[in-house]
Amino acid sequence: MLYGMTSDTAVLTEDLTKFYGSQRGIEKLNLDVRTGEVMGFLGPNGAGKTTTIRLLLDFLRPDRGHARILGMDPRRDKATLHRQIGYLPGELAFPGRETAADLLRFFADARGDVPWTAVTSLAERLDLDLSRPVRAMSKGNKQKVGLVQAFMHQPALLILDEPTSGLDPLMQQEFLAMVREARDAGQTVFMSSHVLAEVQSAADRVAIVRNGQLAAVEKVESLGRRAVRSVEIHFGDPVHASEFTGLPGVTGVEVAGPVLRCTVDGRLDPLIKAAARHEVIDLLSAEPDLEETFLSYYYTGEGTSDAAAAGA
Amino acid sequence: MLPPLVRKTWRDDRRAIIGWALGVGVFTAIYTGFYSQFQGAAELKQNALPKGMLDFLGIADMLSPAGYLQATVFSLVGPLLVLMCAVTLAARTIARPEEDGGMELLLANPLSRTAFAVQRLVAAAAAITLVAVMPWIVLSVLVPAIGMDVPAGNVAAACVGLLLLAWCFAGIAFLTGALTGKRGAVLAVTGVLAVATYMANALSNLSDNATWLKYASPFYYFIGTDPLHTGWHPGALLLLAGIGITTALTGVILFNRRDVGV
Repeated sequence: MLYGMTSDTAVLTEDLTKFYGSQRGIEKLNLDVRTGEVMGFLGPNGAGKTTTIRLLLDFLRPDRGHARILGMDPRRDKATLHRQIGYLPGELAFPGRETAADLLRFFADARGDVPWTAVTSLAERLDLDLSRPVRAMSKGNKQKVGLVQAFMHQPALLILDEPTSGLDPLMQQEFLAMVREARDAGQTVFMSSHVLAEVQSAADRVAIVRNGQLAAVEKVESLGRRAVRSVEIHFGDPVHASEFTGLPGVTGVEVAGPVLRCTVDGRLDPLIKAAARHEVIDLLSAEPDLEETFLSYYYTGEGTSDAAAAGA
Repeated sequence: MLPPLVRKTWRDDRRAIIGWALGVGVFTAIYTGFYSQFQGAAELKQNALPKGMLDFLGIADMLSPAGYLQATVFSLVGPLLVLMCAVTLAARTIARPEEDGGMELLLANPLSRTAFAVQRLVAAAAAITLVAVMPWIVLSVLVPAIGMDVPAGNVAAACVGLLLLAWCFAGIAFLTGALTGKRGAVLAVTGVLAVATYMANALSNLSDNATWLKYASPFYYFIGTDPLHTGWHPGALLLLAGIGITTALTGVILFNRRDVGV
């Protein structure tokens, strides 16, 4: 990786490391988020997602390594940088007791040049009543206020920590549409989640963290392709397991009379070609979703208990 | 136009600011207003209380107008109210939002850490100043109105001393909050310091062997110089202001060097 960055890179971290005493927050994180992409940042709770985000925003200072955001230094250029960042905290708490409108007016004034119509149209879109005090709002409505303040100044970079938490499914869809529109407008989105479905439909790439370390960075579609899927084939006649055991990517072969069950990692082609020598009555393949792929990363490592936690 | 963060800080604290300002103003007005009715009682009280007790309470004489003001507004309850207000408001600048989580969105403002801390500090200092000058405003009206024979310059000197005492402890409170981000730490450090230095000043009046103690007490530089009788003591006042400003600026610097909200 080149030192420094080009305008193609919105977020770059090199060897980014943060310990809390002896406890690891994040270690040796090398990450790049390209300008104009949506990157999902996945991992179970406690994996280091929020630590990473707080390092990017200069709330925390790294023990080692560094980050560059939009070509700038998070600490030295904080004032300039935060005008171009929209941030949604993972643990949302609002300062003060004012109405949503007054609070958002403060954020608008502080950032400058935010047309009030940008606020009202976002509020309308998310079905948010701005006249109510934020403190008295439900979790979902607070989340909407958080989203409005993150999107309202059309920042070059959106850093969203667990953006859909507390939103009902309809609003989650609306949020994902907002993310896609942001990408279409050239904005970069870096969003953390422990729920994979939301990332799957909006992200271009995902970075997976586990135990404070980067486990993988993948394109969403290639993650789908190399996904582990379970396949069940019903043949016209009984088959022998030996025909299928040696095939590339095929494991866990079980044959019960005319029914074959196995697991395929990667391309389906070798299995299909082998199966075609028989009469195929039915073929069932479990939808390759990120959840399973995600879990496979965990099962290959030591942390199987993390995998259980991640499956939520 | 004031920075949005300063206005936001005042808006969030406005109930506390108005409440403290009214409380301190009313307290000053009531005590000062009692002066005429109090004369007989004061004589009794002065005779009834042992000399040591009067010295401890900082009551030289309750019969003269200056002595009366010193014994009431400037001895215990006045500074206590003003300092409680100063510490509360200073704790709200950094420690409270950091503890209740509101800090992240405040700190996400496009401001450097230093600018953020300075704006929070300036907003709180202005509010504390407003509350701490309430006795001055009230006394400027009441002292001549009741016909108390205390020179306006001496009243001003004592009131400025009270203001700078508030700055001194507000600076210490701000420093503690900026360094730790914990409201409990702010209250503990300033509370212990206030009580200890108040005692140091009070005890030094009792014993000839302990007179040196008072020099370690901000309360001495505020009221131990007897401004109501003797007027301005610029050195003492500058020292109080210096402690407040130095601790506050140290807080700004240290806040720029630590992790926030861990």
